[in-house]
Amino acid sequence: VTALRAPAGTVLLRAGDRTVLLPARSAGGTALLAALLVAAAAASLSFGAASLGPLPSLAAALGLGDASDVLVVQTLRLPRLAAGLAVGAALGLSGCLLQTLARNRLATPGTVGIDDGATAFAVASVVGVSTSLAPSGMALVGAATAAALAFGLAGGAGTAGYRFVVVGLGVGAVMGALTNLMLVRAPIDAASAAFPWAVGSLNTRPPLPVALLAAALAACLPLSVLVARRLAVLRLPDAVATGLGVRAGRVRLAALALAVVTAGLAVAVGGPLGLVALVAPEAARKVCGPRGVPVVASALAGALLVVVADLAGRTVAAPIEVPVGLVTSVVGGPYLVWLLLSSRPRRTP
Amino acid sequence: VLVQDRPDIRARPAPVRPRRAWRRVLPPLALVLLLAVLASLLVGSGQVGPGRALRVLLGGSDEEARFAVLQLRWPRTIVATVVGAALGAAGAVLQAAARNPLAEPGLLGVSAGASTAVVVVIALGGSVATLGPHVAVLGALLGCLAALGAARLQGVGDDPVRLVLAGAALTGLLGSLTSVLLLLDRRTADEVRFWTVGAVAGRDLSVLSGVMPALLLGALLVVLVARPLAALALGEQVAAGLGARPGLARLGAVASVALLVGGATAAAGPIGFVGLVVPFCARALVGPDLRRVLLPSVLLGPVMVLVADVVSRLAVRPYEMPLGVITALIGAPVLVLVVRARRVPTL
Repeated sequence: VTALRAPAGTVLLRAGDRTVLLPARSAGGTALLAALLVAAAAASLSFGAASLGPLPSLAAALGLGDASDVLVVQTLRLPRLAAGLAVGAALGLSGCLLQTLARNRLATPGTVGIDDGATAFAVASVVGVSTSLAPSGMALVGAATAAALAFGLAGGAGTAGYRFVVVGLGVGAVMGALTNLMLVRAPIDAASAAFPWAVGSLNTRPPLPVALLAAALAACLPLSVLVARRLAVLRLPDAVATGLGVRAGRVRLAALALAVVTAGLAVAVGGPLGLVALVAPEAARKVCGPRGVPVVASALAGALLVVVADLAGRTVAAPIEVPVGLVTSVVGGPYLVWLLLSSRPRRTP
Repeated sequence: VLVQDRPDIRARPAPVRPRRAWRRVLPPLALVLLLAVLASLLVGSGQVGPGRALRVLLGGSDEEARFAVLQLRWPRTIVATVVGAALGAAGAVLQAAARNPLAEPGLLGVSAGASTAVVVVIALGGSVATLGPHVAVLGALLGCLAALGAARLQGVGDDPVRLVLAGAALTGLLGSLTSVLLLLDRRTADEVRFWTVGAVAGRDLSVLSGVMPALLLGALLVVLVARPLAALALGEQVAAGLGARPGLARLGAVASVALLVGGATAAAGPIGFVGLVVPFCARALVGPDLRRVLLPSVLLGPVMVLVADVVSRLAVRPYEMPLGVITALIGAPVLVLVVRARRVPTL
């Protein structure tokens, strides 16, 4: 055991006689993203209509200091921050898994219709019955339905180029039309209760869906790390992956299930946040280098993106609050167009 | 090696058809269009049923029914017919120019370009009342150029499906820009709701007279570019050999699509998927030649918009539904159908 030495560019972690080999760059990149996330979270607690310093806001979060500060931070900003962190992390994770399993950087919950499906079903639950658990459950069902439709109609993912994505676009269009249909039929108060799902906003963040999302994230993130090891092999052709002992179909289904659960529950909290799931894994890949599938780093990058976008939406055009979904769409849109038009040979994620 | 020496390559004799045989589909299509117009006049979400409406058409003197048919349904029927014809023709031309069966003005962001241009101008201080269709046409032109630029950049022979993704990205981007503008400016939001959701309800004929010059000019251009574009389907070099000028033909096609879609959007707002479904059906009827596809498309476009409009009146009575929702419900399955084909055909 003492003779083990880490190869160049990796770090060897040891606990007793168990060892884990971590790529150094990916570990460093993940740490960097985590540090940035902590800074962004502190900024998000401090700035707003009433600006506090970082230390007073931290104290207020713990219930110390001025009573009005405590009120602002604990009841307004902390739940919002928690929702932003959870939604961003879930979307980043979901995007990373989908992109890798479909071998296509454009395959994200937004483009393959999962977001639209979850939105349609969540709106259905709000327009129909109004118990607080229902939107999360329905969003999950909707996400699974849309994913199954896209996956089934396209005849699988990852082997047929862009077909999965465009079939997903079609599924998403139908789901979006159904959402509009329900919003037209619904009485006005039910329709306005469903409105946050139309643009993607952290303004109304019911506590139960956030808690559900956090619990799901706690379960899905470790599972994703396990799946990611096999998913990394799937970047090779299916035949090669099979030869290396990876069951391509099973791994894809597992990754798809994890992506659907995280994306569906995230949509139930914040609505479809445009392009977070596209940009976050890309940023994570840039930071962590090409080795491995950066699921943890993608989750961190997604959380960072949503927290920063929410902060910008609250403060830049104050007193008007720009919904966070619009901020991420406007920032991510040009990037998506550039990605599509870049004439470089396609890299699979 | 001559083809004759290769027994594994067998020429399949083309079915010999009379030159004009394809025109046989036109009378039935015209009949269908007539029925759609009639349905649009007779059916409504309110109190006036088909029976009362029919009596008005036959010269009855029922005041309420007369108002509903002549003042409410007649204008929107005409607007839907004109808009449908423009969108159908624009779809056929754009698909021929991009050589891509998925190139649809709504999917590629041409309609989004038109409505975003209108929103920007109104946000800068313009008013809906004084706004001509030229703003929408200009926006459509920009959207069109962006989409075809994407088509060129992606190169010929690449996956045709990518163009749709570029268009979806452009549409999403323009949509969120529009939303931000609307959010920052309540007055614009009030005036503009009209432009962001496609509908033919409540349009009167004066809207049409404003956009008619753009539509007629677009139609003229379509007639001019149809033959060179059909030659272009054989490939750039063959087309040049046949005496067509590919660059000029594409430019004409882009201009005509911008005029048609811009005019249609100015009249009824963005209506998606018409330009996808209609040429798809027309090609199924008469084959891929653009010169043959055009007339059936012009007839089928209004049929689709009228049918969608009638459904939008009946689906959620007594309310009405946005027209774009219905066309999306019809169109998205067709999109899936096209993409599911084993090899997405290039036109």
